[in-house]
Amino acid sequence: MVRDGVAVRKFMGSYFGRLSFFILLGFLLFLASNRVDELRVYQGATVAMYVVAIASLILLTGYSGQVSLGHGALLAIGGYSAALARNHFSAPIWICFGVAIVATALAGAVLGTAAARLSGPYLAGSTLALAVGLPSIANQFHILGGEQGLLFDVGAPPARLGADFTQYKWYFWIAALVALIAIWWLQNILRSRFGRTWRAVRSNEVAAELAGIHVGKSKTLVFTVSSGLAGLAGALLAMTIGTVSPSAFPLTLSFALLTGAVLSGVTTLSGVMIGALTLVVTPEIADAISNRFATSENVTTNLPGLLVSALLILVVLLVPNGPVEQFRTLRTRKRANTHQ
Amino acid sequence: MTMYQFINTILIGITSGAIYSLMATALVLVWRSARVVNFAQAGQALLSTYIGYEFIQRFHSFWLALLLAMIAGAAVAALIDATFMRTLFRRAGHGPIAGVAPIIATLGLLGLIRSLLGLIVGGKDARISPPVSNIGFTVSGHTLALSPLKLLIIGSVLTLMLVLSLIFQRTNVGLALRASAYSPEIARLAGVRVDGIRTLGWALAGAAGAAAGMLQTPDGNGALSPDSLEFSLLLVFGFIAAVIGGLESLVGAVVGGLLLGLVLAFVLTYISGSLVFITAFGVLIVVLLVKPGGLIGSRRGRRA
Repeated sequence: MVRDGVAVRKFMGSYFGRLSFFILLGFLLFLASNRVDELRVYQGATVAMYVVAIASLILLTGYSGQVSLGHGALLAIGGYSAALARNHFSAPIWICFGVAIVATALAGAVLGTAAARLSGPYLAGSTLALAVGLPSIANQFHILGGEQGLLFDVGAPPARLGADFTQYKWYFWIAALVALIAIWWLQNILRSRFGRTWRAVRSNEVAAELAGIHVGKSKTLVFTVSSGLAGLAGALLAMTIGTVSPSAFPLTLSFALLTGAVLSGVTTLSGVMIGALTLVVTPEIADAISNRFATSENVTTNLPGLLVSALLILVVLLVPNGPVEQFRTLRTRKRANTHQ
Repeated sequence: MTMYQFINTILIGITSGAIYSLMATALVLVWRSARVVNFAQAGQALLSTYIGYEFIQRFHSFWLALLLAMIAGAAVAALIDATFMRTLFRRAGHGPIAGVAPIIATLGLLGLIRSLLGLIVGGKDARISPPVSNIGFTVSGHTLALSPLKLLIIGSVLTLMLVLSLIFQRTNVGLALRASAYSPEIARLAGVRVDGIRTLGWALAGAAGAAAGMLQTPDGNGALSPDSLEFSLLLVFGFIAAVIGGLESLVGAVVGGLLLGLVLAFVLTYISGSLVFITAFGVLIVVLLVKPGGLIGSRRGRRA
């Protein structure tokens, strides 16, 4: 029995194990998407978008010890570049996603080079600045379409999928597939030479430097990869809402993403679904509360933000390493007790 | 004409720069005493400005309200440090998240204050009118950008900075503040109550931030709203000013604020108003790339 467990764990840890896990997960999602109603399918697409965005933040915080307070701005760079590629060169959507990744990674490389050499809150402040200034940047350049923003239309689902194949289901398929590939790729890179380097830097910068790792370069690389993922998430977000505009990437989006990352636990990727699901469920709860009790518009507009901020503070105070890590620690402690 | 335009640009730059200096000072004070960049400072400033607004409605005196808002700002900041931040450092002071937990927590606090204010006073038309005229003095037919209001803003900032430097240089409390910023452990061994001094640092910062909010609002269009972009920009420009000054030094914060104010005023007058933000962001990136320790700060930057 115990040996079986080891074999399963060994298989899951191998390259093909992970690949088959993700293929299986994709197949289950495909089955599920045929059985639930339109709203849930659309929310599924949003969850997939959040998974990519939160994974990007977890990578940054968990593997370089820095944090981005304006991740929404990076999503915006991805969304805008995907929309530009689509509108001006009518590129196929896969190319648009690629453009979003590359453009945001480049922007991230510049920002990361500026901030990653320094300890402390420099990257946090720079990203926050970018998120605050986003509307003025969009208004400055005519090509970005100002307040109205740009359309981003990925097109109708292919005809051979059948007449009753809805647009939202098509969004969900694309988003889920992209998210699965992204997470699978991330899992692999974290087990490669790069992942080991990043973990070494995370555990002890001085020791890593003594071992010949260039700490600054390693941090910049983490931020570049994280930015690329954020750009991809931005393109997914643009796809699900159909447009990109400054109002699609408000400061509250950055707050929400950070909340999702902290809830998932910044040290491990395995909790990423917790954060993503919470972010989709929270507005629904806020809606339900304000529909029942609300008398004024103030409550409706401010309650989601209030819930998200309160959740962020509570998690940082009560389970700073995230519920998954907390659970793991508890279990190890329990096991240690029973073995005594 | 062009000469007057040039002078006006400098005057506008100095006024807005003085307000950025106040915000930068607030950020530097907290950074020095707690090694935290307090992103909630914008929220605290907003809250204090709302409190000041309520006092103006009651007492019809801007200057009394400014004083009371600063006291309220100091009290709120001290409360945040003594309850919230202390709990945070006890619970998340170690482990992989220790480095980023304060940043995340202050951002959460910013969101919390803003949405709470939105719940309570959102949609209400709150407005702070200038206590004195905002119409510029006229010199031989030309209107200068220097109005009685701007003069008073510059004067208030100067006074506050003077008081602050007197506290830091001439009092025992100031010595304790400097000692705990320099080395908390040694200061504790020398008998300084480091925890209380840190809370005091937060309180001073809260007062400076409240003053920045109270002075900025009538200098702009006077309108006050919980999701105001002005306060977010105040935080961002204050942060950039603090980084220019090296994030450690109070003199650096003032110089950084004035420099940033002047640069932005010249961009506004001579190039384009919509380039202001991009310029500020560019300045931040260039400073981080070229002089990461700040223009004024210690010679060695705080390298990773």
